[in-house]
Amino acid sequence: MVQSSALPAEQYNYDIVRKFTIMAMVWAVIGMMVGVYIASELAWPGLNLDNPALTFGRLRPVHTTLVIFGFGGCALFATSYYIVQRTCQARLAFPWLAEFTFWGWQAGVGLGALSYMAGITQGREYAEFAWPLDIAITVVWVSYLAVYVETLRRRNQPHIYVANWFFLAYILAVALLHIFNNLAVPVSWTESYSLFAGVQDAMVQWWYGHNAVGFFLTAAFLGMMYYFVPKQAGRPIYSYRLSIIHFWALIFLYMWAGGHHLHWTSLPDWVSTLAATFSILLLMPSWGGMINGIMTLSGAWDKLRSDPVMLFLITSLSFYGMSTFEGPLMSLKSVNALSHYTDWTVGHVHSGALGWVALISFGSFYHLIPRLWDTRMYSQNLIYVHFWLATIGIVLYITSMWVAGIGQGLMLRSFDDYGNLAYTFIETVEFMHTPYIWRALGGVFFVTGVLVMVYNFVMTVRSARREQAALDAKLAAKMAKA
Amino acid sequence: MFDWLMWFTHMENSKPLALVLFFGVFCGILIYVYTGKQRGQRLESYKYIPLDDDEPPAADAAPDGNRSPSRKVTDHE
Amino acid sequence: MRHEQIETNSGLMIVLILVVISIGGLVEIVPLFYISETVEKVEGVRPYTPLEQRGRDIYVREGCYACHSQQIRPFRDEWLRYGHYSLAAESQYDHPFQWGSKRTGPDLARVGGKYSNQWHVQHMIAPRSVVPQSIMPNYPWLLERDLDYSDMETRMRALRRVGVPYSLTQEEYDANVARFGPALADQFDINQARESLLKQARDNNFDGLPDRITEMEALVAYLQMLGTLVDFSQYEEGYFGRFR
Repeated sequence: MVQSSALPAEQYNYDIVRKFTIMAMVWAVIGMMVGVYIASELAWPGLNLDNPALTFGRLRPVHTTLVIFGFGGCALFATSYYIVQRTCQARLAFPWLAEFTFWGWQAGVGLGALSYMAGITQGREYAEFAWPLDIAITVVWVSYLAVYVETLRRRNQPHIYVANWFFLAYILAVALLHIFNNLAVPVSWTESYSLFAGVQDAMVQWWYGHNAVGFFLTAAFLGMMYYFVPKQAGRPIYSYRLSIIHFWALIFLYMWAGGHHLHWTSLPDWVSTLAATFSILLLMPSWGGMINGIMTLSGAWDKLRSDPVMLFLITSLSFYGMSTFEGPLMSLKSVNALSHYTDWTVGHVHSGALGWVALISFGSFYHLIPRLWDTRMYSQNLIYVHFWLATIGIVLYITSMWVAGIGQGLMLRSFDDYGNLAYTFIETVEFMHTPYIWRALGGVFFVTGVLVMVYNFVMTVRSARREQAALDAKLAAKMAKA
Repeated sequence: MFDWLMWFTHMENSKPLALVLFFGVFCGILIYVYTGKQRGQRLESYKYIPLDDDEPPAADAAPDGNRSPSRKVTDHE
Repeated sequence: MRHEQIETNSGLMIVLILVVISIGGLVEIVPLFYISETVEKVEGVRPYTPLEQRGRDIYVREGCYACHSQQIRPFRDEWLRYGHYSLAAESQYDHPFQWGSKRTGPDLARVGGKYSNQWHVQHMIAPRSVVPQSIMPNYPWLLERDLDYSDMETRMRALRRVGVPYSLTQEEYDANVARFGPALADQFDINQARESLLKQARDNNFDGLPDRITEMEALVAYLQMLGTLVDFSQYEEGYFGRFR
């Protein structure tokens, strides 16, 4: 129980949480706009503008890095620092180190994006950072671990709440993955050759790649879910016992599943079979988590009608359930034979990234912002507007990618009556033109939603400042009278 | 008499062995978590941790999600 | 043990998490380095020559892997479209691997020799001039920029440290002569890195510009050797199946 009578804003370090929240929105806007731009490049290749820095190959990692590590990373820093303080009822440890994690992370993400445009890259998906940045990121990450664990150790609450288990697992796992995947021998300050080669390198990279999804984009955001869904609903999580099973099963099973990105390749069959098996098993903890989140509302479903923030949180869990069903399906070797290398995979990633990761972050922000700035949201209606723009955007995105991906997969494997290939490759490229336009449009809807949120946020902070100023003036007047 | 121990030394038996081991642990956790009424109640009591600091210090400790409309946000801010 | 012991002890929780998340990776990755069947024994597979390696560096720099895979799967349509499925051995000198995960454009694992050098140069500068429906960006700067090969030795030394058999000593050179023949052994000799690069460029003139060595030269040299190393007619059907 809380003993202190101090205001939370004084009791806890909210300053660092505010900073990360703002930067999460900044990176979201930039990263998603880059996403829309490269989506348009695929529809209209003239947009590459014959400029090396703006070609699809160089901008694509800019998009993934800004969105995953910029937006997602900052959202996780913000919420984990908030949650660990609130559930431990302790102020954040090592404030200077936390400050360092903020500036270090922004520098890493920003320099990373610029370096890709300059052609500096390791050529490893989702780990394109050149080696000096890799080292810098490792230092920031270890500082993050130190701040987090020390805050846990200083807790005034005997128990470590579930949300913190997920955050802890994510910090540890990402450290492990990042270090092993980036082992390399430098050539210069900007270039290096990876320590592993060929098939081993592929397995290490997808062990990293899949668990970047599993821990960075799933486990950590589940930590967010375990705190903000109960808080926003004003009721405890559905089942604490389910969360125990959920946690251990999820972190155990995820680490086995990376090989499903390499079905039918030169990777030995036993590894990809094992990976597929564990991917199917993963459905259970994933849905366990989804059920735990959604059932928290059991008996209070009317909140979905009255509270737009709840709408964000619960919809994100529904998308989480959908994409964790689609994932195991695509990890089956027979399905993968069709889906791999096509836009179906791209659509799947975005149903997770937009539907789950982004929506739960937005929901959490709408819960956080009033508390961090001690005010109320400027407009509830704009939250609804954001919600519908985001949802329409996601639906457009996913459906167009299903059409493009499944369509291309079917075209590539169809034969004519004489057993010849029915289509050339370029015919599938032509076919994808229309879905690519729809996908870009879906992206425009989603970014517009984010801009609405940013506007709502700016207005909220401005009115909070005005309220504060009025209050101060009143206080000053009173003091003057006395 | 200890010949059966040799079974464990064969590499090809590692898969069923791992399966039995992992599945056994999983069942153990399930049984631990879901049996015992007292244990269940005790475990479930921890789910109120994030809601604890919602209550004004003077109020009753019993967790309750009702918001008082007079305040801007649920926490005692 | 009660679960409360774990949730009230951050140190114990950290240790348990580390144990639980390590198992999957250990079981799946570590054996790949020890099981000899992971990489097949095949004739013909060799490291990249200096010029090809520089081409590969450019391939990585431009992010080609975002749209092109280098990994053919064992399906009939891929066999007809691209050729024999990729072998692990064929990418054993790839630091990093460039198998890719998306085919916005076609697979390139066996693109070598399918088109002329001229076609590649024209296709790089303006893809739509040879394939009207293409959505690939233009890469005109590849023909404008001269190739920087001043640090070729440093690059080969780094690759040697991660296991590529480039030779530094006479002993290693002799071993390469025995393994790859004298012409290739010269190419793999770090001490003559720049001369070998110049020699290959002059002999082949990949970019069509006889008096210059451009980035295009290196990239086309790389593309033209992709997937050409193994002579599949030498092996009986089903030979490679044994390694899967």
